Amino acid sequence: MKKKALSAMLAAAMAATSVLGSVAVVNAEEEVTLKLFSNLPDRKNGQGLVEQMIIDEYMAENPNVKIEVEALDEEAYKTKFKAYAMDGMPDVVSIWGQPAFLDEVLEAGVLAELNEADYADYAFVEGSLEGFKKDDKLYGLPRNTDIAVIYYNQKMFEDNGWEIPATYDDLLTLAGTIRESDIIPMAMDGGDGWPMAVYLSDLVNKINGSTKDLFAEAIANGDFTADPFKQATDLMRQSVEAGLFQDGYDSQDYGTAMNLFTNGQAAMFYMGSWEASMALNEDIPEEIRTNIRVFTMPVVDGGQGGANDIAAWNGGGYAVSATSEVQEEAVKFLNYMYQPDKLSKYGWENGVGLSAQDQTAYMTGEETELQKQIVEIATGATSLSGTPVNDCGPSAFKTCIESEIQNVTNGTSTVDDFLATIGKACQ
Amino acid sequence: MKTKKLSVGKVVLWVILIIVAVIQIFPLIWLLDFSLASSNEMFTSGLLIIPEKIQWGNYVKAFVDGHFLQYLKNSVLINGLAVIFVILISIMAAYACHRMHWKLSTTVKTILLLGMMIPIHATLLPNYKIYNMLGLTDTIWALLIPYVAFSLPQAMFLMTSFLDSIPIELEEAAVMDGCGIYRIVFQIVTPMLKPSIATVSIMTFLNNWNEFMMASTYLSSPKWKTLPFSVLEFTGQYSSNYAVQFAVMALTAAPAVIVYVILNKHITKGVAMGAVKG
Repeated sequence: MKKKALSAMLAAAMAATSVLGSVAVVNAEEEVTLKLFSNLPDRKNGQGLVEQMIIDEYMAENPNVKIEVEALDEEAYKTKFKAYAMDGMPDVVSIWGQPAFLDEVLEAGVLAELNEADYADYAFVEGSLEGFKKDDKLYGLPRNTDIAVIYYNQKMFEDNGWEIPATYDDLLTLAGTIRESDIIPMAMDGGDGWPMAVYLSDLVNKINGSTKDLFAEAIANGDFTADPFKQATDLMRQSVEAGLFQDGYDSQDYGTAMNLFTNGQAAMFYMGSWEASMALNEDIPEEIRTNIRVFTMPVVDGGQGGANDIAAWNGGGYAVSATSEVQEEAVKFLNYMYQPDKLSKYGWENGVGLSAQDQTAYMTGEETELQKQIVEIATGATSLSGTPVNDCGPSAFKTCIESEIQNVTNGTSTVDDFLATIGKACQ
Repeated sequence: MKTKKLSVGKVVLWVILIIVAVIQIFPLIWLLDFSLASSNEMFTSGLLIIPEKIQWGNYVKAFVDGHFLQYLKNSVLINGLAVIFVILISIMAAYACHRMHWKLSTTVKTILLLGMMIPIHATLLPNYKIYNMLGLTDTIWALLIPYVAFSLPQAMFLMTSFLDSIPIELEEAAVMDGCGIYRIVFQIVTPMLKPSIATVSIMTFLNNWNEFMMASTYLSSPKWKTLPFSVLEFTGQYSSNYAVQFAVMALTAAPAVIVYVILNKHITKGVAMGAVKG
């Protein structure tokens, strides 16, 4: 008996200290504490800095509001997001407008519905809200527009008399020519899996002319035997055989691939438009940084996609928790962030890439050539592909395709095996 | 002058030992080397970098922007307490299950040891739910409880095996002299367990020092965050400030290395003493 009483007392004491430790959220004087759960741990650079700038401004304008930020990087963020989904979300959260992430989240009903009519004046790029909707109801807002592009070193191209390839065959021929000069044709982050899945989606887009319906259907049926998938995978395998990517591309990560390019060891670099900030990065030698230019995936012979049908999507964004006790204030803050002169403008000024809103009003004319080129690509596009294939299905599919794509491109498995395996992962 | 004769065997032994030592120490040298370079120098093909300019700024950034001191304080406190709890509980539990005779002693011991087979990740979300219900998330207990719980089975295993080597006659003599049970455990047995206490301390400390998954799930405010969070402060959305991260890791590794060096001496001493006693 004594022991039981003792253990009960200990438990009570522990509970008491912990309750005192955690702070209550709202009190009577309308002091509001907003909790923001962010996937941007670096608050001093890039997108994280932009987010923090807006938070600081909001707190200065609304002295009764305190915003507490908790930031984790992607993997840890997603794990903790699941934990929060079980038991009370923070008020404002980062989300990804991709089925691989969002479907499960919306099914759990943890995000609050937003009123789409409120955002009529926010100049969102057409179609950018689609990824954040379910049954025509809006649950989040997109932060960026990401375009898959091929960065290239203009000076290197000019010095060697290389030309920007018009077709994919030209690109493979060019790869051979570049190899002869002992330079890596294209730096590829193959270690992570997702850039290659984006590359594959980009090729499918050029072959098929669009990807949305094709991806949705293939994932729903678990069947990837359609011709565009086969052809695109074949092309990737051929690219590796032609030596387009660096040796060991399938084990080298983002930083390594990028540095091959920024050190002048590689002529091209396949990555998203967010890396446009390379042109402003003083860690990169000036000779290279001022000569970075960009083109999009060349067309594939016989494909339906034209030069202006680009691989682009709206990835990350923000949403409000359905169970938030201060939901009104949370939505107010969300709307504040998306006022056209906040996320969009600051993002542009800090070179973190394109926002999902119309940015033309903030062009100063002093942008880098690279930034201007990317804006041109975006405005000149006839169609946007939408979410890359790896983010279109359930999370098991994402894991599967991102690891299998390394095996098929380096020749460990065959194209048919690859397509069958990723099909199975959907079921 | 007397010259020591170097036999071939000794030379081979020395060469092997030096190679092993270099292999062991190299990662630390590499870490220090990279922490003093700039991010852009990091991707050269050489094994080590000779920085153009030594970047002490990396360490300044790590200290200031990485909240190093605050996180260090938390890490030391949490890990220190975890080590103390683990040692205290494992000694008492090992003694109770191994030396004392009661009906369920083996069952209890088996259950405690079963903990070794449970992967941490499987317990992550259920534990979060339980802590949340008890209001323990974001408190020091949210880390202390799992750290102690996950270190305990191994500690218990070591302690019971070591208890075997202590002659039971000592305890019998103590009982005859009128010694109570707590005095036997803490004054007779514990001093003889020193080597295994050192081993358990090192294992518990090093395992938990770098732990991040549980810490990131159970904590949300910076109040109790531990050192691995420091590295995170320099992780960007797509690419990171590697040089500063190396500096943070060098700073994080330092206390662990120091603890290892201090306690390592005790292990050797303890083992040697045990050998003489036979």
